[in-house]
Amino acid sequence: MFFAALFQTLVGQVVTVELKNDLCIRGTLLSVDPYLNVRLADVVVTEPEAFPALLALRHSCTVRGSCVRYVHLPPDQVDVQLLQDATRQVASAVKAARVRPVGE
Amino acid sequence: MQSAGSAAEGASTNGALTGGSILGEPSDLVRLCLDELVYVKLRGERELVGRLHGYDQHLNMVVGDAEETVMSTEVDEETFEQIVRTRKRKLPLVFVRGDTLILISPLFRQSGASR
Amino acid sequence: MDSMPGQHETQRPADFLRQILGRPAVVKVNNGAEYRGNLVCLDGYLNIVMEGTEEFVGGELKRRYGDVFLRGNNVIYVGPAPAK
Repeated sequence: MFFAALFQTLVGQVVTVELKNDLCIRGTLLSVDPYLNVRLADVVVTEPEAFPALLALRHSCTVRGSCVRYVHLPPDQVDVQLLQDATRQVASAVKAARVRPVGE
Repeated sequence: MQSAGSAAEGASTNGALTGGSILGEPSDLVRLCLDELVYVKLRGERELVGRLHGYDQHLNMVVGDAEETVMSTEVDEETFEQIVRTRKRKLPLVFVRGDTLILISPLFRQSGASR
Repeated sequence: MDSMPGQHETQRPADFLRQILGRPAVVKVNNGAEYRGNLVCLDGYLNIVMEGTEEFVGGELKRRYGDVFLRGNNVIYVGPAPAK
């Protein structure tokens, strides 16, 4: 959920999605859902010779979240300070939600 | 979502294990790693060293200024020697999906420093 | 609850883990590596934090970690470290 929100802020930016089968897909981020499935536009496969079938894939594609290994993000488009603060907040909220029913 | 039974089981483990240690639960260590240099071991013989900028309960992470090392071992057909090849690359800012993660270790404190 | 044969009284996995807590432990993960160190804490997913950990691959010491977090889904077993 939390990273879905991060990706939401990157809609319109160019990202590279690296899949678990080593395929790299570069494209403009169109949308993301809570499962971190991502839709990309203007797709370029970085090694088309390795996956010739994907040459047919020109305009847009959806990548299933579970197939993703990395998403290479544009560093100048992400406020890492904000990300760290949000991470701390979410972590303590998750912890509070988990510990409370046990303690009392 | 987990079933009520297994959730209760996990919760009772948590409660019982908090006593006596500095860290209440494993995720506390990851929280201590925020904004610090970390070593991350991933599936597929991959390692990352970089700064941890964010994570969630699945251990999805965002790592900055990372160096990735990919190791591949090949067996020489004639000598049967194992040849380990490593490839390194720089990843300025990367989101790492948590399901590939095996371990994470902070690099800022050395062995024994926590005790 | 069914009772187990033998002289031990029935023990649940959580009780077993509680006994190892804070003690030298060995954890095997599904890529074949084994981790030996002090078991600091763990949770219901079997996420584990150990300190002073040594990583063994194929019986060979590969690496040392100060503190280490192991993601629970990779854990095959956790047990007390055998006395040397």
